[in-house]
Amino acid sequence: MGTTASQLGKDLLSEYQELTFLTKQEILLAQKRFTELLTKDEKNLPNTRVPMERILTLPELKSNPFRKRICHVFSTSEQKDGSLTFEDFLDLLSAFSDSATLEIKSHYAFRIFDFDDDGTLDYGDLEKLVNCLTGETDDTRLTTEEMRQLIGNILEESDIDKDGTVNLSEFQHVISRSPDFVSSFKIVL
Amino acid sequence: MDRNPPRRDMRRVYDHDEGNGYTADQQSLRLRRFPSQMSNQNYPQFAWGSNPADEEPSGGLPQDLRSSPLPMALKRAVRQVQEMQLPVVSERDSWKRKRTKYLRNLKDNAREFIYIFALWNKSLQKIGGNFGGGVQSYFFFLRFLVVLNFVSFSLIAAFVFIPSIVFRSVGDSGVNITVQESFLPPSTGPQDCLQYDPNPVGLGLFYNYFLDVLSGTGFLEYSYLFYGYYSNTEMDDSFSYNIPLAYLLTVVFYFIFCFICIMARMGIAARVAVATGGSTVGNYSKIVFTSWDYGCLGDRATKLKQKNIHYRLQVDLEEENIKKRKASLTLTQKVMLYSLRVLMFLITSGLIAAAGYGIFEATNFSQGRSEQEGVLGLIFEYLPSIVITTANFLVPLLCDQIALIERYSPSLTVILALLRAVVLRLVSLSVLIFTLWGQITCDGNKNHGDCLLCGYNHDLYPCWETRVGQEMYKLTLFDLLINIAMLFLVEFPRRMVVDNWSNKLAQKVGRQEFVVSSNVLELVYSQTVVWTGALFCPLLPFINTIKFVILFYTKKLTLFQNCRPALKTFRSTASTFFFLVVLLFGGGLATAVMVYSLAVIHPSYGCGPFRFFPSMWSVVPASFSNLSKTTQEFLFFIGSQAFSIPLFVLICVVMCYFVALASVYGKSVALLKKQLKQEGRDKQFLVRQIEELSRKLQIPTHAAGVRD
Repeated sequence: MGTTASQLGKDLLSEYQELTFLTKQEILLAQKRFTELLTKDEKNLPNTRVPMERILTLPELKSNPFRKRICHVFSTSEQKDGSLTFEDFLDLLSAFSDSATLEIKSHYAFRIFDFDDDGTLDYGDLEKLVNCLTGETDDTRLTTEEMRQLIGNILEESDIDKDGTVNLSEFQHVISRSPDFVSSFKIVL
Repeated sequence: MDRNPPRRDMRRVYDHDEGNGYTADQQSLRLRRFPSQMSNQNYPQFAWGSNPADEEPSGGLPQDLRSSPLPMALKRAVRQVQEMQLPVVSERDSWKRKRTKYLRNLKDNAREFIYIFALWNKSLQKIGGNFGGGVQSYFFFLRFLVVLNFVSFSLIAAFVFIPSIVFRSVGDSGVNITVQESFLPPSTGPQDCLQYDPNPVGLGLFYNYFLDVLSGTGFLEYSYLFYGYYSNTEMDDSFSYNIPLAYLLTVVFYFIFCFICIMARMGIAARVAVATGGSTVGNYSKIVFTSWDYGCLGDRATKLKQKNIHYRLQVDLEEENIKKRKASLTLTQKVMLYSLRVLMFLITSGLIAAAGYGIFEATNFSQGRSEQEGVLGLIFEYLPSIVITTANFLVPLLCDQIALIERYSPSLTVILALLRAVVLRLVSLSVLIFTLWGQITCDGNKNHGDCLLCGYNHDLYPCWETRVGQEMYKLTLFDLLINIAMLFLVEFPRRMVVDNWSNKLAQKVGRQEFVVSSNVLELVYSQTVVWTGALFCPLLPFINTIKFVILFYTKKLTLFQNCRPALKTFRSTASTFFFLVVLLFGGGLATAVMVYSLAVIHPSYGCGPFRFFPSMWSVVPASFSNLSKTTQEFLFFIGSQAFSIPLFVLICVVMCYFVALASVYGKSVALLKKQLKQEGRDKQFLVRQIEELSRKLQIPTHAAGVRD
């Protein structure tokens, strides 16, 4: 089942409404923005896969430091190249939407932060995460000493079972104590 | 961390039996983990074998699918499987499922509908994307106040304003003033009390119109704007509508309505504040995991957010180092620091008291010179407002400088500054009201000279309610004018200077920052003034709605044109709760003023709907006697002890239940945390066992290899 380029059938629309957190307006807007990314030939094919570079031209993702990770996490492609179909795009918007639950947001946030895709956040992941947060240029990075102190503090606070990494439940425990997370983990077209 | 690689392999081996590195939706016991043949280990598994008949028929199926972190194709497949597996359910179950599905569709459609009508959504989104959550929370608060004022004004309009217009246009035909004999003013010189001549002099000049609009006198004084214009008529022929009673009850309900709205909004914020526990542990993890705002648009906003996070992390790390150093202060240093703090506290209290005294003097001076004409007269009229605004501007500045000496931790400094500003504003308003009260009631002394005749100072205030209403009206108007004046006279020029003049001083001062806390306090102060004046100036909520709408657009304009985003951000959720608490304090002050005016002070004889009643509240018992006998008995029963004491006991029991529930939840949370720690230790123990076993198994083969 794929999307025809121009119109979304009513059945398909209601199915998307049931399977995602998006409202009808949001789904239609998503379809409009997605078709703008397609070339002329691709518009007629069902179920096209848009390469990551073109997805990253969307203004909502363009300057996000996690943009490549977001594409990788939501992509269902076999080649792991971060390309997205329209349904992947809807999954992305659903997780980042206003009405998505805390669980699904924290789940996807965890996967985005897991740079090596091994299921836990270890020292390397945390270091890359902090560098994304503060900026990649030399004058905005933390010094090695500060980084070590910071990651030591993070692991001390959130690693409950003391295995040196933060797993999904520990991550969700930290998230649940932060009320601003749900409102900041939001991308609205 | 070189023990990581072998442990990770071990864990892969260990976890392979469980099937994956990620667990599915952990809340639901139905979604059991299933060893999968899928090549991609990153997808959580879904229990294909789960039987929908096991689930409670609460319509949880579609909800589950939406919150399960699967890609769309998988979700679709799961749904098909579930639909195929649907066993024959009883009619009741299927009806229940259909009903929940229908309700959910209804809720979704309602939400979409409301979203279209919500005010200013696009602007708020843009503000949040460019300036962050703290500034956005100010605009959310402003929008809430606009809606609150508009809705409460429609209450007043429906029950007081429109009937008054209708009755006036109908004429004096149906007027029937029912008044008891004892309520009439004393026979010795009653005419003095009844004298009230608000009709303006010198209507000709446009200049006079302008002055009158600004000060609420002249043609505005005897108009629907103020209390004095409303009549005490009761229509008796076709239907009865008791305007005094309507006026009183509408104002009381207006207060209750605002109170309920604020409590509802506070409930949401409080729930969130309680859930986070308020602990400062987990600060670093919180910043790193949750501080990124995915709504940031554009390179500039992103770089700014990154700088912001960098700054916060550095500040926190430095504070930690400082704290470690501070723990080693000697005793003399500690004593000095504490005595310095006590001294600074006394100084700030003194500053606030001085501001209060200044307002007292200004109000007395202004009331004494109320006959002055022209521009000088206008300045005298506005003198209390001017002094209040100046005090509210200067004193926080001085307190900021004092806070530098006190050297509290940064978060405590922010809270203290806010508290001081709040106290200052409420004190200034209370002093103004207190001064007015002193003059109206001759300092509470009913038998003192001027107040002997009518119960209030009828020389100075032939219609004292209108006077109080005028003061509140002037405060509101002055606030708006000052805001607009600041915009054009201070903020735009500052930006021009900073942008075009590359002087070192100009660069150091820099573009303006949008300080959320002081702006919010402004809003709270305006709202308190409106509440205080609502009884005396019924159209004030409407004026306030317009004022807040103008404020929204001017603040948005100045935000985008003149301000640079703040380096130190403002935590939005905890502060929302604080703003609402402060709003409640203001509301409490206004309620105290209203209750006192209703119950104690004698209404004016010369004007208003309560002309011949001994107090405003006495219209309620008077109309009470018009109700039917059964209604009276019912109301008496509700007020009696036989009803209220059991009610009170019931409320206590319900509260105890909730307190017990809360403590049980807290205990179970602590228990679960302990369990989690225990499991972690068990896992580590087992991993070490595996390592030992594998080492034992490897050694003989290794020895064999070496021998060969």
